[in-house]
Amino acid sequence: MPALAHQPGRDARLPTIGAAPPFALTTADGGRLALADLRGKVAAVTFIYATCTDTCPLLTAKLAALGKRMGKDFGAKVAFVAITVDPERDTPDVLRSYAQAHGARGAGWAFLTGTPAEIKDVAQRYGVFARKTDRGDVDHTFLTSLVDRAGALRVQYMGVRFDPDEMLSDLRSLLREGGR
Amino acid sequence: MITRREFLTGLTAAGGFAVSTPRSAASEPSPETGTIRVSSSIAICTAPQLVSEDLLRAEGFTVVQHGAQATIGTLEEVAAGQVDIGISFIGPTIVQIDGGQSITVLAGVHPGCFELFGTDRVRSLKDLKGKKIAVVGLGSSPHIFLSTMLTHVGLDPRKDVEWITKPRPESVELLREGKVDAYMGFPPEPQELRARKIGHSVVNSAADRPWSQYFCCMVAANRDFVRKNPVATKRALRAFLKATDICALEPERIARNLVDKKFTQREDYALATLRELPYARWREYNPEDSVRFYSLRLREAGMIKSSPQKIISQGTDWRFLNELKKELKG
Repeated sequence: MPALAHQPGRDARLPTIGAAPPFALTTADGGRLALADLRGKVAAVTFIYATCTDTCPLLTAKLAALGKRMGKDFGAKVAFVAITVDPERDTPDVLRSYAQAHGARGAGWAFLTGTPAEIKDVAQRYGVFARKTDRGDVDHTFLTSLVDRAGALRVQYMGVRFDPDEMLSDLRSLLREGGR
Repeated sequence: MITRREFLTGLTAAGGFAVSTPRSAASEPSPETGTIRVSSSIAICTAPQLVSEDLLRAEGFTVVQHGAQATIGTLEEVAAGQVDIGISFIGPTIVQIDGGQSITVLAGVHPGCFELFGTDRVRSLKDLKGKKIAVVGLGSSPHIFLSTMLTHVGLDPRKDVEWITKPRPESVELLREGKVDAYMGFPPEPQELRARKIGHSVVNSAADRPWSQYFCCMVAANRDFVRKNPVATKRALRAFLKATDICALEPERIARNLVDKKFTQREDYALATLRELPYARWREYNPEDSVRFYSLRLREAGMIKSSPQKIISQGTDWRFLNELKKELKG
């Protein structure tokens, strides 16, 4: 069995890919949240939609479990941001219900929606592509991006089968770096 | 292989990327070129090339598709500098590097896209001694791949088999009629041959060792492009590797895309191919092992003169891949 190629040394810093694409969108409470508002926190930015019945709930549940494992740091120092890829249907109320239904509660979570143009723009700049199917589903890329306290994009996780321990280790590694 | 000095010099000249800056503290500069040329020649197994188009745009490129001519494939376009980057089969790529072509292999994409079918007279590779094998042409990908397989079991592809060169549909008919003993299928041919119950699988490179342990499709770029545009090369490779992940994660969507864009007609065959190919291996397998393995086989077959080490030193650069493995997890 070949060794996983992406096993960094225990103390290896995560690379810096570049400035994370900025956004300013509507929260489930009807307010506005910008990436810049999260400066000073480590953020995981992902994309979901509320009527997704297969993969999105798995991803949300995986992240919710990770949030619990972050303990008191979750919310205070770490934020999880889920941006809808179905802005026509995912109003703030719908997203609030989705969050409650999938255990994504607490100050660490932000579910965001916006105009279709806003969502399309931010999704594309994160490298996420979404397309509505004839069935009303949304085919989209599952990509979760970790952003450090200074707003730099540090690592991206494709899909939902990633090792949660590895993501937890990366989140903690970014926390250890402190503010920059 | 580009030297460390050339790599750093290129980065400095191209993007103002200070050599003394620790990599982990530096943000990635913009690509040195705003345009990237990719081949419009796509097979089902090289679907990541199709998927990469939007991702290349997200990396800051204007994507120009270069229409493949009937007599020229992606690899030749890359070598000629008509295309900057593309996905090509490893065997022909090594042959081109041995011939001095300007190609740099950057990463593996997946193993397993070819499958050897035979008649009842052929149960193993060794049974091919003295038999007729249909290929589209000498020097073609199937011919090169099958030659490596023959040498691996001790047969000489120049003497021990009879090559029959025919177009693909004709070759399949010859196999069905039993007028040739074997045919090497590439997607969607294995799916079609199985569905039509023509011949039987002798070697499935997605499942059978050692072939399943080595990449057959790899990302190759024009060597001058890589040397002059290291930032663009890394960004383009990131798009290709993300696209490879997407093929592993969303085969249904990609199969529909292939049909919608008229790269293939049968969505069921395309979906079967995408599901069978282990696209997720690009992080796990060592691409240098694949180049070494196939170089050894091709040298045994008399198809290249260079040693594996010379092929690796002249025609590969894994630096971008090694960085991207840390940035893109899955």
